[in-house]
Amino acid sequence: MAKTLQERRAERQLMIVLLPSLLLLFAFVIYPAIYSVYLSFTNEALTGAAARAPRFVGTRNYARLFNDAKFWNALFVTFVFVLGSAIIGQFVLGLVSALALRRRLVFRTLFSSIILLPNAAPEVVAGFMWISMLAGGDHATLSRILSFFGLPTADWLQVFPLTMIIVVNTWRGIATAMILLTAGLSTIPQEIYEAARMDGATPAQMFRRITVPLMMPTILLYMLISTVSTIAVFGLVYALTRGGPGGATELISIYIYNQSFTAYQLGYGAAVAVIALLVSLMLGIAYVRAAKVEI
Amino acid sequence: MSVAPPGESANRVRGDLMAYATLSLISIFCAIPFFWLLIASFDGNAQLFLRWPETWTFANYLRVFAKEDGAKWLFNSLFVVGSATLLVMVLSGLGGYALSRTRAWWKLPFLYAILLIRVLPSTALIVPLYKFLLTLNNAESALLRPIFGSATRDIMRWTGFIDGYLGLILVLATMQLPLSLWIMKTFFDGLPRDYEEAALMDGATMIQRIRRVLVPLALPGLAASGLFAFMSAWGDFLLPLILLSSPELQTLPLGLFRAFLRINEIDYGLLTALAFIYLVPAVVAFGFARRFLVQTFSGGVKG
Repeated sequence: MAKTLQERRAERQLMIVLLPSLLLLFAFVIYPAIYSVYLSFTNEALTGAAARAPRFVGTRNYARLFNDAKFWNALFVTFVFVLGSAIIGQFVLGLVSALALRRRLVFRTLFSSIILLPNAAPEVVAGFMWISMLAGGDHATLSRILSFFGLPTADWLQVFPLTMIIVVNTWRGIATAMILLTAGLSTIPQEIYEAARMDGATPAQMFRRITVPLMMPTILLYMLISTVSTIAVFGLVYALTRGGPGGATELISIYIYNQSFTAYQLGYGAAVAVIALLVSLMLGIAYVRAAKVEI
Repeated sequence: MSVAPPGESANRVRGDLMAYATLSLISIFCAIPFFWLLIASFDGNAQLFLRWPETWTFANYLRVFAKEDGAKWLFNSLFVVGSATLLVMVLSGLGGYALSRTRAWWKLPFLYAILLIRVLPSTALIVPLYKFLLTLNNAESALLRPIFGSATRDIMRWTGFIDGYLGLILVLATMQLPLSLWIMKTFFDGLPRDYEEAALMDGATMIQRIRRVLVPLALPGLAASGLFAFMSAWGDFLLPLILLSSPELQTLPLGLFRAFLRINEIDYGLLTALAFIYLVPAVVAFGFARRFLVQTFSGGVKG
């Protein structure tokens, strides 16, 4: 049956109210994403001769990138950062919190509020607070706690920079992991645990044989989503270390920023950005397929 | 409840104790960095490390507004983020409605596209985005200059794409749109069509339907969409860092970051007071958003 006139008019109206969003997304996300691919094949710069007359340089930026030790360093730092903070730190502490908060405890709301707090702090404020925590000298909070237990102190951000940004990002993201994993835990029917208990299963056995396997889909999705969002982290680490000392915390996002806005090499920065976009996009597609998103 | 066998309750108590211990440790880890901010901001002689103040004072807060341009930064942040949030609420309300109700071919591609847009890191987009905004900005300036002459700069402060309110507002809003559209689409999916159809039968126009029927029904969804947009835009550091340079346009994160870079004369009392002022709206918004968090993280993100 042909669509009625009224239906067609309604469809057109729906298209019109969506149009402003479509335009904005196209202008400020999709077009820049495509444009970055183009830029990555030019010697575009912010200042100098190349800024006035950018030339097409073929794959030179990519060739340079391949031989650039600082690029590989940034990839490595990003990998360790994601692995340490999103995959291990946030996940383990988030899972422990989610499991503990399933019990009927007196201070449940208080605990979960405090765990949510770091997530609410703006990136710059969070970075700033941790500069105080990790500062050198015997008065900084971390050093004081450690020396209370008779452990050595250090200028943490200078001596263990990568470990420290992993700790800070773990701190910031426990809440996200906790929330997602709590949602996953709540889908496991209580009857399974009851039945297992009847059969005399110990808590450890129940965790290994019931909780872990049934949580696997949620855990996988969490890993994908947190990897993608951790690759995008910029402000938190930039406020803390600005990539230093000596590139030890130069994440791929900070490397792009430094190449583009400190070294003014937009073309080369775009080539690095394209790699980051492709990696994120692949993870995103894997996520959408794994999540079997219902639309 | 069934009667627990003898060993059971001892087990439960032990489990509860372990839960208390773990949660206490994690909570201390989460809360401890905040203490310094809170205490140092009221300390007459604040230092980089945590200490108990000899004199408690409001002077640091007063200095934020008297000595620095704290009031201007606060205004800029509230204005820019507020406008972006409002824009996101309007656009995601309309767009989410369209995405929920349409049966057109573009529905699925569009929804997949906004899911994938969410994973693109904004640091990777910032270079081409900056170039594109610069082009727009130069075009606008070339257009306005012949008409307004020397007043152009003042106008561009509001309507410019680089170093102007408009550009930052539009880009900040756009970055929040995918999640907000998704929240609103899911929200409208849960609203029965009966009300609209009844209004349609009564001969209401689209505008009337939106104003009288949909907006009142959609308020909870709009609240969630607005809160998430506000929190994310309020905390954003990269976009103002790239897009703003005039001191008059500086927002709170920039003011805080730049005040901290003045290595030789860091005024920790002022910095912590400023950081605390910047922190409060974020925490308040988070408090309101709490009941939406689970739905949004497990629903909005998961799909």
